[in-house]
Amino acid sequence: MDSSEGAVGSILEWEGVLMENFYQLILNGVLLGGLYATIAMGLSTILGIVKVINLAHGDLMILGSYLSFVFMHWIGVNPFWTFFLVIPAMFFIGFFIQSLILNRVVGKGMEPSLILTFGLSIIIQNSLLLFFTPDSRSLMTPLSVKTIPITEFLNIPLLYLVNFFVALGAIFILHLIFQKTYLGRAIRAASDDEIAAKLMGINTKRIYAFAMGIAMMTAGVAGVLVGMAFLFYPHTGPQYLIIAFGVMVIGGLGSMKGTFIGGLILALSQLIGAQLLGIGNQLLCGYIVLLIVLAIRPQGVFGEG
Amino acid sequence: MREKIHKFRWYILGLLLVGLLTVPVWGSDYVVLLCLLFCLYLALSQMWNLLAGYSGLISLGQQAFIGIGGYTVAVMASYYGMHVWVGSLMGGFFSILLALFMSLFIFRMKGLYFAIGTWVFAEALTIWFGNWKYVNSGMGMFVNPTNPPSITMTYYASLIIGVGAFIFVYVILRSKLGLGLMAMRDNEVVSETMGVEVFRSKLYCFLIGAFVTGTTAGVLYVFQVFIYPYKAFAIDWTVTLVFIVVIGGIGTIEGPVVGTLIFVFLSQWLAEYSSVSLIILGTIAIVVILVAPRGIMGTLHEKIGFEILSPRRE
Amino acid sequence: MENIVLRVKNIDVYYKGLQALWNVSLELKEGKIVSIIGSNGSGKSTLLNAISGLLPLTCGTIELFGERIDGLAPHEIVSRGISLVPEGRRVFPRLTTYENLFIGSYPLKSRSTKNKLIDRLYEVFPILKERQNQKARFLSGGEQQILAIARALMSNPTLILCDEISLGLAPLIIKEIYFQLRRINQEGNSIVLVEQDIKRSLKMSSQAYILLGGRVVLEGDPTHFTEDQVKKAYFGI
Repeated sequence: MDSSEGAVGSILEWEGVLMENFYQLILNGVLLGGLYATIAMGLSTILGIVKVINLAHGDLMILGSYLSFVFMHWIGVNPFWTFFLVIPAMFFIGFFIQSLILNRVVGKGMEPSLILTFGLSIIIQNSLLLFFTPDSRSLMTPLSVKTIPITEFLNIPLLYLVNFFVALGAIFILHLIFQKTYLGRAIRAASDDEIAAKLMGINTKRIYAFAMGIAMMTAGVAGVLVGMAFLFYPHTGPQYLIIAFGVMVIGGLGSMKGTFIGGLILALSQLIGAQLLGIGNQLLCGYIVLLIVLAIRPQGVFGEG
Repeated sequence: MREKIHKFRWYILGLLLVGLLTVPVWGSDYVVLLCLLFCLYLALSQMWNLLAGYSGLISLGQQAFIGIGGYTVAVMASYYGMHVWVGSLMGGFFSILLALFMSLFIFRMKGLYFAIGTWVFAEALTIWFGNWKYVNSGMGMFVNPTNPPSITMTYYASLIIGVGAFIFVYVILRSKLGLGLMAMRDNEVVSETMGVEVFRSKLYCFLIGAFVTGTTAGVLYVFQVFIYPYKAFAIDWTVTLVFIVVIGGIGTIEGPVVGTLIFVFLSQWLAEYSSVSLIILGTIAIVVILVAPRGIMGTLHEKIGFEILSPRRE
Repeated sequence: MENIVLRVKNIDVYYKGLQALWNVSLELKEGKIVSIIGSNGSGKSTLLNAISGLLPLTCGTIELFGERIDGLAPHEIVSRGISLVPEGRRVFPRLTTYENLFIGSYPLKSRSTKNKLIDRLYEVFPILKERQNQKARFLSGGEQQILAIARALMSNPTLILCDEISLGLAPLIIKEIYFQLRRINQEGNSIVLVEQDIKRSLKMSSQAYILLGGRVVLEGDPTHFTEDQVKKAYFGI
């Protein structure tokens, strides 16, 4: 499995031109950060609520990319339209994974869920491998490489802009769901005190399934966006899991603000690092920043100590 | 039947040991090969079990030590003409250093951060070694000692490591450290008030695990002759270890033995690392966790009290 | 003929592997208050948890209006009309007072019905309205207890189980809470009261059960109890 040969590494290469302009770098970092935040959202939600670490998160996201790929070629549409199919599909996938498998280990500690989701990750990766072959795929369209020039030196890659606003939108929608709807409040109640929630007539197992469904919807969104920006293949999942984890560590758990800022910081460190140390070390720089944060402020920027 | 096994357990184990010692005499090359792999994987999985089953540390990054161990032997033997077994031990030693360094970062918070932290380190090492000209970067290098050992010698080295790791774990679990670990396993907070040094115990186990894993990897790569970073530092190692320990029985001494047996058997049958075999491994692991979370030996122990080697002092 | 709201028949319950209740039976008539008294560890909370569905029975049955509810999941029991004010209040700390109440009602009701209910409760418990946008963890003990009771009322239960609601509260507050409880009872709700505070709960109830070591050792109309009887049953001397 070749996770170091990042498809992510191709960010700087898809136009065949290295970005040398510093401001461009920052702009790209900020916009890429939005994408990273969207990737991490689902993982963070589930960890905070159901207290399960989903090691298959990256693979499920890539599954979303593959689903989009299938829909794209089956129906012959622009990847943007596949959102309408991928999002509900991912909801059901998440709902069923939680109901059938993960609900059985809720409350039993970290180990069973780690091992379960690890096994799930392996199954998904290798099933994708069998089904789709190791060839890299993408959802790229001419839109993927379009840029909007805003000054003489600055260009905004259109896709990154889309990613950024989608991330903002997703965070906003999630916020609305969790703060204003019965479902969202029930989810928060169950995560505060599972027994009390049961006593309030809440079917906690079903609530968790809904929470997972919601998390997988964001993973689906992230999957489509990632597929439009980069190449992907069956084993790309884990490197995005590590990105999601990096976002969570840097930004802090349980905070939407944190997820967003974490995404920004991680993306910026990757791009700046790649600029300074070479493209091959881009992922490495992200890892180093993650480890440093783990060492000096493990709860993250906005995390609750 | 249970009492008979208990009474004769040392005889049974002794018999097995004699069998293993004499394999090169009566076994074909293929059988020796299988036993070699068995011993090496046994050592690796005993260590993973020590961490996950007894210390509460789920490591997803043991491959970091496997890579370090393998590359140490490769570099020392090929570039400096060092004897391969010494090189392997050096691999273990460098693994300890790496583990110490890692512990600065990953012991700070809950077990989850440990798990992913170890993985991140392994990924970082992949990139590092993949770009490092000294070890021929991503193209890998050969383990080229001046006097390459015979298969038989490599086998005996692996036997020493496999049996040694097994005995080592047994001794640890019956020691004060082991008692502390099992208290921690029951209730970490309470055990801390009783004077069990939780952090130190975990750290020792982590370092021990690193050492044995690194040394084992050294012998493994002497056998495999070629090492390259994308396999040496790959998560696939962890997949194997998780499978072995979970199915065999996490938190039991005999578990890794059973698990390794099954794995070596299965992997030969399913031609290692092809996708289907991995899917099967993954599914079996999931089913086991859901249905019999203590694995084969653990469930046997729970249901009928069947235990060959007990970590408890009588 | 009065309806029997709750009938617990000869139940055994295990908690964490040890038997906690032996052959316990009790009956609650509609619109009445029943007290369950006992010292720490006598099994009072276990009994309420078993009725709520949080603990399984190893034998015996529990009936609500003649229908068996043992074996049902807690959220299903709530939908049948039982509400528990749990030991230690267990308000949702990160949700506001309003949200705690909101979540307390059974899911099927419409938002406007829920808000109407909440407004009614605000009338009965004005302190909750004052604190409506504060996170529950910032409320005082007494306020949390009132919130827990109000929250239990949100599901419009026919039967309310109260687990040690006076624990850790100042006497004045306890007086207020019991006053409200009496009002709630007068409106037709049946109540099961579990308390360590013997006097107050015996005064309020028409039927009492005293538990010792997981068994019922004294039961009946508390006005007929002598002080000696109560002491003996409570302390086991």
